[in-house]
Amino acid sequence: MFQLAERIARDTMERLSRLTTAHLPALLAALSILLVAWCLAAGMRWLLMRVFRGARIDQFLRRSGIASLLPGGGPVHATQVAARGAYWATLTGGFLLALSAFDTQLTSRMIEWVLLMVPKLFAGAVIMVAGLWASRYLGRSALIWAFNEGIPHSRRISDAVRVVVIFVTVVVAADYLNFARNVFLASFILIIGGAMLAGALALGLGGRKIVERRLESKDSGKTEKPEPAAWKHL
Amino acid sequence: MQAETKLPAPDFLPEEAFDAVYKVGQADIVVGIPSYNNAGTIGHVTRAAQAGLERYFPQLKAVIINSDGGSSDGTRQAVLASRLDSSRLLLLNTPLFPVHRLSFPYHGIPGKGSAFRLIFQMASMLGARGCVVIDSDLRSITPEWIDLLLRPVLHAGFDFTAPFYQRHKYDGTITNSIVYPLTRALYGLRVRQPIGGDFGLSLRMLNRYLSRRDWQGNAARYGIDIWMTTIAIAEGFRVCQSFLGAKLHDPKDPGTDLSEMLHQVVGSVFALMQEYEPVWKRTSSSRDVDLFGFPFGVGLDPVEVDTGRMLGVFHRAARELRDVWALALQPATLKELGRVSATLDSGSADGFHLDDELWARVVMEFALAWRERPAERGHMLRSLTSLYLARVASFVLESRDLLSDQVEDRIERLCLTFERLKPSLISSWDRVTGPAQSAARGPGDASDGARAEVMLED
Repeated sequence: MFQLAERIARDTMERLSRLTTAHLPALLAALSILLVAWCLAAGMRWLLMRVFRGARIDQFLRRSGIASLLPGGGPVHATQVAARGAYWATLTGGFLLALSAFDTQLTSRMIEWVLLMVPKLFAGAVIMVAGLWASRYLGRSALIWAFNEGIPHSRRISDAVRVVVIFVTVVVAADYLNFARNVFLASFILIIGGAMLAGALALGLGGRKIVERRLESKDSGKTEKPEPAAWKHL
Repeated sequence: MQAETKLPAPDFLPEEAFDAVYKVGQADIVVGIPSYNNAGTIGHVTRAAQAGLERYFPQLKAVIINSDGGSSDGTRQAVLASRLDSSRLLLLNTPLFPVHRLSFPYHGIPGKGSAFRLIFQMASMLGARGCVVIDSDLRSITPEWIDLLLRPVLHAGFDFTAPFYQRHKYDGTITNSIVYPLTRALYGLRVRQPIGGDFGLSLRMLNRYLSRRDWQGNAARYGIDIWMTTIAIAEGFRVCQSFLGAKLHDPKDPGTDLSEMLHQVVGSVFALMQEYEPVWKRTSSSRDVDLFGFPFGVGLDPVEVDTGRMLGVFHRAARELRDVWALALQPATLKELGRVSATLDSGSADGFHLDDELWARVVMEFALAWRERPAERGHMLRSLTSLYLARVASFVLESRDLLSDQVEDRIERLCLTFERLKPSLISSWDRVTGPAQSAARGPGDASDGARAEVMLED
């Protein structure tokens, strides 16, 4: 019994010793890389905070309307967002580099995948941000137009415009990233086609009476009296 | 006689306008009438202008120019065909020169401003000492208007004569609730009808307008009146007013969208605020402007106002446009508007009141947001319509039993509120950094408004 326990302990120690001898340098290297990456990330965050504050990037975003993408329309802190983004991007880079110190097949493949995808993901993110901005802008335009025209449910019209633009953006981004391209494209065609058909039916059914009235007044030689403007006194 | 100031090449003038200038050669006075489908009234306006010129300026050479925006109802023909039976007018003087009547279609952006540009350019090329512009839809114009608008320019050295009308208490609400109080608080001159539409101008003033480069924006459309008035005040030109009596005119084109009109007028005010920042920041109070003519009371057309409908729009807007208002308004202002809107929840307008201070804050916060968020200017200004309707409705409800003098007192109170809140506008303006100074000014202009300020204080 005692001998068995001794053998187990010895085997364990030998295995630990082998593992340590094999992976300690890589582990130490990885930790060192992580430490350097953390220092770099912190430095980068500090630098970006200073540079962006000097360049008044928050103000630019507010003036360009990009700031209104933020929920609630609260104050913009793009400088902080960018600095934090750079911090975490540098740390992630450091982590990947640290993984590469282990030189295994799995880590190599992970790094390769990330490196290949980063530019595409970045471009995809840009497409999404532009699409979100456009959806907000066009949705708001539709809301104000519909409201000032006295069209009921102007909020719903605005929401519909926003959803359509976001959907188009997602389709474009998915197509660019080659991600479920056919699924998005097919659903896009189906939804747009369906919406067009519904719109055409609604217009046809709703406009029938107007056309009838017009034709009748044309036949009888009468012209419709224009409705007096609601705010003419203003 | 050519103007002394070097002006940009007038490439917007139609060929026939050049020919007309060549044929007429020189004129002392130009009366400009912008038009668009005004065949019903423009004949009367043209005859009144001609009678005014023959009666009050018989020794001067005058031209009436109609600048038309492509009317399809025979407006131009009505101008050219209008005839004046001088014998029935008991003219005391025999005119030395015939009054020429010309009509041209203007080129460029459709709008009143583009029409004015053609008139100003022709007046400048003809070397006119004075120019009068009058609306083509006026029903109350008399020959005296020409004298009242022109005489201060020709004989008293003024550069800009603004109109001063008797109007119904519910007429001209954009003027009464936004443009007059804001312009007065900003630039310190009490020009009562800054967007009246009928003005007298000197050649110096005309050339200043023509030398500017911002004819393509709101100045080309409904923003032109406040654009002209503000430039005259802010750049220190000599400004006066003339009492013209009642202003009765056709209702605005029913196709004209109120929101669009408000957008153009208020957008123009805000754009000029940006440009003349040094001038209005240094102006701390307001003063009266010389008034010519003999003020008298007149009967006015009744104006029907549907406050229920206006308040309905505001009530709905408080729910649906809140996010858009939030782009411009401070949370406290938004909250207060929500409280005002809540008084309508019961379906009755009895307790509805949008007070002067809240309204002044709304206008000033929109001005600040206009400066701070250029990409969202259109949205913000178009969302102002419902707030404006609420303010008008509140004003109508309050002044229902008031006489016109008492209504003037109410407007005076609103103006004083704008003036009182101006220091806070200035401090907020300084916190918000806007774009670089507008490039609207022409060559050789005052670089920071300092010159204009000195002249204002003269």
